[in-house]
Amino acid sequence: MIQIEKRLREEAKRLLETKEAAVVLAFGRGFDEEHPMPLILRKPSDAEKIVFNEYCTFNMARHLTEFPPGTKIAVAVKAADSRAVTVLIQEGKVKREDLIILGIPVAGMKDFRSGTAIDATTTGPAVNPVLYDILLADLLPEPKDVSPYDVLAEIEAMSPDDRWGFWSAEFSRCIRCYACRKACPLCYCETCFVDQAKPRWSEKSPSASSNMMFHLTRFYHLAGRCIDCGSCSRACPMDIPLYLFHKKVSKECEEMFDQAAGMCVDAKPVMVDFKVEDSDDILL
Amino acid sequence: MITKIGREKLQEFVAGLMKSGRLFAPVKEGKGTNFKLITDPQSVTLDFYNTIQSPKAVLFPQSEDLVNYNISHDGIASEPAPIDDGSRIILGVRPCDVQSFEIMDRLFNGSGIVDPYWSARRSNLTIIAYAFDRADPVDFYNAFGITGSDEQGSDILMVRDTNSFLFKAFTDKGTKLLETMPFLEKGTADDEKRMTEIVDKGRDIATRTLDTAEIHKRLAGIFDSPYWEEAAAACLNCGVCTYVCPTCHCFDIQDETLFGEGSRRKIWDSCMFSDFTLHASGHNPRTKKSQRLRQRINHKFSYYVENFGIISCVGCGRCTRSCPVNIDILTVVEEAR
Amino acid sequence: MSFDPKILGIACNWCTYTGADLAGTTRLHYPHNVRVARVMCSSRINPAFIFRAFVLGADGVLVGGCHPGDCHYSTGNLYARRRLAVTKKILEFAGLEPERFRVAWISASEGNIFAETVREFTEQVRNLGPQTKLAAQKRMLA
Repeated sequence: MIQIEKRLREEAKRLLETKEAAVVLAFGRGFDEEHPMPLILRKPSDAEKIVFNEYCTFNMARHLTEFPPGTKIAVAVKAADSRAVTVLIQEGKVKREDLIILGIPVAGMKDFRSGTAIDATTTGPAVNPVLYDILLADLLPEPKDVSPYDVLAEIEAMSPDDRWGFWSAEFSRCIRCYACRKACPLCYCETCFVDQAKPRWSEKSPSASSNMMFHLTRFYHLAGRCIDCGSCSRACPMDIPLYLFHKKVSKECEEMFDQAAGMCVDAKPVMVDFKVEDSDDILL
Repeated sequence: MITKIGREKLQEFVAGLMKSGRLFAPVKEGKGTNFKLITDPQSVTLDFYNTIQSPKAVLFPQSEDLVNYNISHDGIASEPAPIDDGSRIILGVRPCDVQSFEIMDRLFNGSGIVDPYWSARRSNLTIIAYAFDRADPVDFYNAFGITGSDEQGSDILMVRDTNSFLFKAFTDKGTKLLETMPFLEKGTADDEKRMTEIVDKGRDIATRTLDTAEIHKRLAGIFDSPYWEEAAAACLNCGVCTYVCPTCHCFDIQDETLFGEGSRRKIWDSCMFSDFTLHASGHNPRTKKSQRLRQRINHKFSYYVENFGIISCVGCGRCTRSCPVNIDILTVVEEAR
Repeated sequence: MSFDPKILGIACNWCTYTGADLAGTTRLHYPHNVRVARVMCSSRINPAFIFRAFVLGADGVLVGGCHPGDCHYSTGNLYARRRLAVTKKILEFAGLEPERFRVAWISASEGNIFAETVREFTEQVRNLGPQTKLAAQKRMLA
């Protein structure tokens, strides 16, 4: 990881010096070593502020949509993050030619809040970015026979009532701070449906039904787009395992529409596409 | 006078408290703990550093009905919602959080406008403070003259000994409450000594600190500084910091109606949200995240000082601990020069 | 009194709604439980309509659109098919009985099929009983 940090500093410095990039999105030091922060660099001299360690879990694709169109941005991405960049390109939120993607193949990241390892149970198992211009380390062997969806078996096996009980208990803790949507690289709507006053889709006060309305609709909005980075769940102060629901929706989308989110810039996200032969068996 | 109870008898003590009023105490929730209304004595845990959310919701719930109404063809019938003001006991509040009640009192109770919801509950509240027994790298309550075992503002101070909890009452309300508790043993001279030792140890806990002199003027002077852009660069504009904060008190009033039946509700709001300042016209005077972060810091460390003579922060470290991008409020204030 | 379910129907203007009209003009009998809202196309349906209907106390939701391939706008219902399939999967994983949500492709000439679908679906929802999971409750004070 020290090597990645060194390479990231070099590349950031070079890209800013040559003005190939106006902004570099990377990671910097927070209040201590184990609590880094997203770092948005504009000056080559600031490159030495870059840090990379196992706690740099932020999905920097989240910040791509903060800049005016046409800004040349270099962005440091890990495996899942690169898929988020891909989705943003597919959806026209950023242009491929405006981006310089600094790919970071890395395994063994840790949640800075709990200190626990981040693995295929809470995010995707992939360790290599799918899209990059500059690779900051050698590609790693991808873990074999690990499905991001194995973790779902237990909940899938529950009866509908038990599942309802499970989710009701989890969402009853929700304080509607909206950290999940704000940490999400793909929740970029200027006005979220839940903040709309006309119509009011959901009550502002937390309650069993309004929390469920918010989360179910958000899960739907991420259908076929969620790239399983786990940012939402790590951001949640109440430890709600949102990733489980997102994984389930992704799994169903992959099974029904035969395409995983954010794997290829030329593909269309499944929810804005169709095939004549799509099945309607489950609907009728 | 000191009283004590063995750790193994905690549940009986909790059950006793439940008979004296509605009890709010720390309960395991997710990976952390939070203050909850206790219905089962077994759910209470005192093995925690501090709760994820502050205890403010005991007096200032996230959502509260002000007026209930019914809309029909005959018109609108409405009546004020009854104020839920029964006696409340809150167990296990850390000394820094106890101070937050005093800070909020100045706004809700002492600014010339009395919030009846807050004040009715506040006067019926018994606080059992719980001294810290260790430091956490994030906290900075020392900056506000608070130590890890202060009793100020609480009715009873509780400390944890190896196999027991020791109590000392500081108000009549606290003394009376302890007198009604079964199973509480009278402390011996040894216990008195232990209590003093533990309290002294708590006073010696060194947290991070901050030079608060003239801080409001310093902040006022850099209102237009580009510093805020830099400080807020990583900010996601979620509302975690404000919702876990013991002194953030902004709220919105919303009418929530379901098939003609509804309530006008007071609901927590957050200056981190873009719709917080959205005008009915569609104009939004605070469109940038740097402006929002600046507002939060200034409200706590500048405007509140000017309006109420006290910094609206107790250094509990919750916002730093829960921030998804590790923005540290102390660093932001320190570097604001 | 036996349970009388409340069902939200959302029907596309060109096929299902016209089919429902036909059921009426041909004087077919079918249960009164489905309240039909008309949209221009099944792809106009925001899945949040469906979640919201359940929150507002609907016991079931029935969506009607043109047969795939017959869409007035060529492809609207093909998009809707994907959206509604995901919506159903989400409701199911949340723990709501998936039988409370159904889609039917009913053309303008299929008044009898509309009536039959409403009959079947109403019975299905009646057997499930009232929907209390997502439905908003008046909150209790803490």
